Amino acid sequence: MTGEFIFWLVVKSVIIAGIAIFFGLLYKGIDRKIVAHMQGRVGPPIRQPFLDVIKLMSKENIVPKHAIKWLFNAAPLICLASSIMLLLYIPIGGFDAILEGHGDLILILYLFAIPSIAMVAGGFASSSPYAAIGAQREVVTMISYELPLAVVIIAIAWKLSGIEGDVFSMAFIASHPIWQNVGILGLIGAIMLLISMVVVAPGELAKIPFDVAEAETEIAGGLTVEYSGRNLAMLYIADGVKIFAFASLVVALFFPYGIASLLSLNGVASIIADFLFFLLKVFLVMFFAVTLIRAGVARFRITQVVTAYWVTITLIALLGLVLLMWDTHFNVRWL
Amino acid sequence: MLETGFGYWDAIAWIVAFIVICIVVYIIRSMGKKEHRKEAEEPFFSGVELPDEKVHVKASNIYWGFIESMKGYYDVMKKMHDGIINNYISWFVFIAVLLLITLFAKEVIP
Repeated sequence: MTGEFIFWLVVKSVIIAGIAIFFGLLYKGIDRKIVAHMQGRVGPPIRQPFLDVIKLMSKENIVPKHAIKWLFNAAPLICLASSIMLLLYIPIGGFDAILEGHGDLILILYLFAIPSIAMVAGGFASSSPYAAIGAQREVVTMISYELPLAVVIIAIAWKLSGIEGDVFSMAFIASHPIWQNVGILGLIGAIMLLISMVVVAPGELAKIPFDVAEAETEIAGGLTVEYSGRNLAMLYIADGVKIFAFASLVVALFFPYGIASLLSLNGVASIIADFLFFLLKVFLVMFFAVTLIRAGVARFRITQVVTAYWVTITLIALLGLVLLMWDTHFNVRWL
Repeated sequence: MLETGFGYWDAIAWIVAFIVICIVVYIIRSMGKKEHRKEAEEPFFSGVELPDEKVHVKASNIYWGFIESMKGYYDVMKKMHDGIINNYISWFVFIAVLLLITLFAKEVIP
């Protein structure tokens, strides 16, 4: 590892932190606006999350008297930092990931667990019974969605393993879209994997109907009940960044297409067109995986979360995997 | 670079980037208000005062939601783990036979 590499890594990390926070909050604002319209409300302006952060930063940063103070304060910081870290490994806007070649898809799966673990640690450290219940629920939710998520990742990697290359590399997956490597059975299988991934999203991002760990109406915010001021601002930003990162991952796995070549664009115009197209794809993924679902359904109970993920969604993902295997075995191609 | 043959991870690059981003986040966080009133430190518990000691949650409670939803599975498992050594040995023999059949069926059956 050279000094030059480290210098550019530092510079790019700072830039990506800025991009992640800006787009995280922007998409959060869009999500809130659309949900409000779906529910017949005017809703807050799209810039509201930025205003919320500014307001939170000016509020008291209360630490409960029996809390483990260092862990309580460190958890939001680690949660946000690890959420931003995700974007160093995921291709954004038609470019390779900043740390491409330095970490693969399996690493991204593990990195997605860190923000949740940080929140669990912060919840347990806050000495509140509500937060403790929220932390328990977050652990159970994590156990639940990891299985179908792992099945989806393995299925895609297995299907691409027939092609020469590093199947867990994000650049390799992005340059070999799964839709171009399947027949009829494989297409149905890939759609089932996409559905599983879309349903995993609200669990991973603690959104309705899988937001049992926060559940404002039952446990007053659960994990975040004791957080306020700048600590809550960090968790608030992390929430937006995670949405952006997860939607970017879905785009990289399932829709890694650019638009510049289709429009015969070159140079700067092609970069801008691809980046804008990427933002549109991220918005569409967020809309179907988060906004639409959270506006349309009610919250599950914790036992229903486990059953939904371990039985229903895992079965759908496994069936998708089996169809991809049959697709390779029987090799049914398009007419 | 750590490599397993399938996956890879450059831990040094991860640590460098993580430290840089932690510093950025720390700077943003330090722009916020630090102080708070002493009387606001009481944890929220719907207006009820919490006992003056740390609130602990037993480790057995952590997986409650999981165990509750998988009750059918755990009931069967608990029944099987009855503490009678003869039953454990029977299971061991049964599984060993199944494995042997699976491994050598092709060679034994014409």
